[in-house]
Amino acid sequence: MNRIEKARQIIEKAKQEGRNALVEPEAKEILQLYGVPTPEFKVATNEEEAVKFAQEIGYPVVMKIVSPDIIHKSDAGGVKVNIKNDEEAREAFKTIMENAKKYKPDADLWGVIVYKMLPLGKEVIVGMIRDPQFGPAIMFGLGGIFVEILKDVSFRVAPITKEEALDMIKEIKAYPILAGARGEKPVNIDALAEFIVKVSQLAVELPEIKELDINPIFAYEDSAVAVDARMLL
Amino acid sequence: MSIEALFKPKSIAVIGASGKPGKIGYAILKNLIEYGYEGKIYAVNVKGGEIEISGRKFQVYKSILDVPDEIDMAVIVVPAKFVPQVVEECGKKGVKVLPIISSGFGELGPEGKKVEEQLVETAHKYGMRILGPNIFGVVYTPTKINATFGPRDVLPGKLALISQSGALGIALMGWTILEKVGLSALVSIGNKSDIDDADLLEYFKDDENTGAILIYMEGVKDGRKFMEAAKEVSKKKPVIVIKAGRSERGAKAAASHTGSLAGADAIYTAAFKQSGVLRALTIGEAFDWARTLSNLPEPQGENVVILTNGGGIGVMATDAAEEEGLKLYDNLEELKVFANHMPPFGSYKNPVDLTGMAGAQAYEGAVRDALAHPEMHAIAVLYCQTAVLDPRDLARIIIEEYDKSGRKKPLVVAIVGGIEAKEAIDILNENGIPAYPEPERAIKSLAALYRWERWKKSKKA
Repeated sequence: MNRIEKARQIIEKAKQEGRNALVEPEAKEILQLYGVPTPEFKVATNEEEAVKFAQEIGYPVVMKIVSPDIIHKSDAGGVKVNIKNDEEAREAFKTIMENAKKYKPDADLWGVIVYKMLPLGKEVIVGMIRDPQFGPAIMFGLGGIFVEILKDVSFRVAPITKEEALDMIKEIKAYPILAGARGEKPVNIDALAEFIVKVSQLAVELPEIKELDINPIFAYEDSAVAVDARMLL
Repeated sequence: MSIEALFKPKSIAVIGASGKPGKIGYAILKNLIEYGYEGKIYAVNVKGGEIEISGRKFQVYKSILDVPDEIDMAVIVVPAKFVPQVVEECGKKGVKVLPIISSGFGELGPEGKKVEEQLVETAHKYGMRILGPNIFGVVYTPTKINATFGPRDVLPGKLALISQSGALGIALMGWTILEKVGLSALVSIGNKSDIDDADLLEYFKDDENTGAILIYMEGVKDGRKFMEAAKEVSKKKPVIVIKAGRSERGAKAAASHTGSLAGADAIYTAAFKQSGVLRALTIGEAFDWARTLSNLPEPQGENVVILTNGGGIGVMATDAAEEEGLKLYDNLEELKVFANHMPPFGSYKNPVDLTGMAGAQAYEGAVRDALAHPEMHAIAVLYCQTAVLDPRDLARIIIEEYDKSGRKKPLVVAIVGGIEAKEAIDILNENGIPAYPEPERAIKSLAALYRWERWKKSKKA
């Protein structure tokens, strides 16, 4: 099976279940199929699994609720970070599930996604929307206030070449922050450009995905990793 | 199916022709005759009879099928309800292209849209192309065609102008005449039922009479097709776009973060960038750029030289150049050549200040030296009107020197002053040298030329 077929299986399953969004593990699996780096993850359905997976992945870890009915995971109390040992892992699983039940009693809870807690990088965002005239378009911006308040983002119509991806990174006003302002070390712009190109390929090959947010992405000196992702069908 | 007959028809029929002033069928015939179209013109109207326009008598044929000649282009101005039948008859006649002036189709809603689609189907069945409907016509100056109901005396030149708006298009037609912007073509595309921006871009790409293309656009139907066409054309000729209106998606509530940020026309902006299109924000800016881009050769290097007789406009031009990323030539050894054309208190440092005393000789010498110098790649000549030199004389000097040099480098002019300055600007523009009443506009237009040049280079690399 090629990557398109594998991705379609995930999408089809969601569609058959009447969902118009993928849950985080599904979205991350599709990203991985396209070579977009994500932290290694597993989905735990009980406390034992949560501890086992946390051990396998290695502490510290992050845990988040996995439910097709809960979009705003933090609002639901469904996110725990910096989990450092077995005891905290067990506790985190229990708390997340309880919080989710309280937040939305009829929500379908699939478990908890467990992944390695990454060191903080420069937060960037990559997204995709479909324009009625131009088709898939990719967005890039620096996370936080740069996107939320200053709307400092750039767009390109997919498919995007690496040159175009580099252009869109350099186009945002906050680019100097990525390039290493005030003596800070620069992030790997080349890795970011490749990240964007891969998302562009995904957008072109999977028209079923209508919108996409990868937010945040941690950009480091050597790489760029998708920490959270949402895909709408 | 080529659209060449739209610009180079051997014969034109006006269907819905009229001898009554005030009718569109009259205005179009009159423009065709008076602008000097040299092919055959035929009048068609169900009423038949005979009409006289501009001293020429026409037998009016009741149907195009009665015309005893081949017809390449038929301009249709009959009411919407008669258009389907007329299109069918044109097909039988073997007409090649149909500008449909008539309105009352897709712009009214889904039903009109359906009729429009049927027109295109009929046309394609016979191998015909449709321009419009809902247009004010088409102009092509090399073959002296003015098949519009707009102003008559369109200035010949190298800019192809495409307008989606009717009223604005006609207004701009008049404006180009007033402002001495020479046109190769002017096409009103209206509802774009068949021929669209992309088709026209492809045609103008290889049209030897067109140097640059300017599009007034409210939206494209097929964004991808436009991008592909624009990308190809931009490698050869500059494409300037004024885009009005918001994208359809703007109104839709966004489900994702990205959706909420893809505001008014972020995607158009992106698509233009990716296809080398130069996006102008105002009509003034678009035509400023168009003057430079349609007339001037490509620069062979980055070094810009500014010649001025006033420190003030020199500084303003320098500010604009800096903002636009232009590089002012700064090799003092070489710039020293301008010392020959200024009094001792002048400054040959770029911007070169020939001083307020600069007369005809000073400008003549400085312009000639700048044009001849191998390291000076683009020239901006600025002039504040003084009693020393009549701006109209300066215009003639510049034209003469530019012609003598073979017009190998881009040269723009800005003349600030009164009525004589305005006349001088017109003289320059009529002679294919872009001239402006403000230094910043000259510099920004030169910058647009460099921007296009850089995009082209990035595609070759």
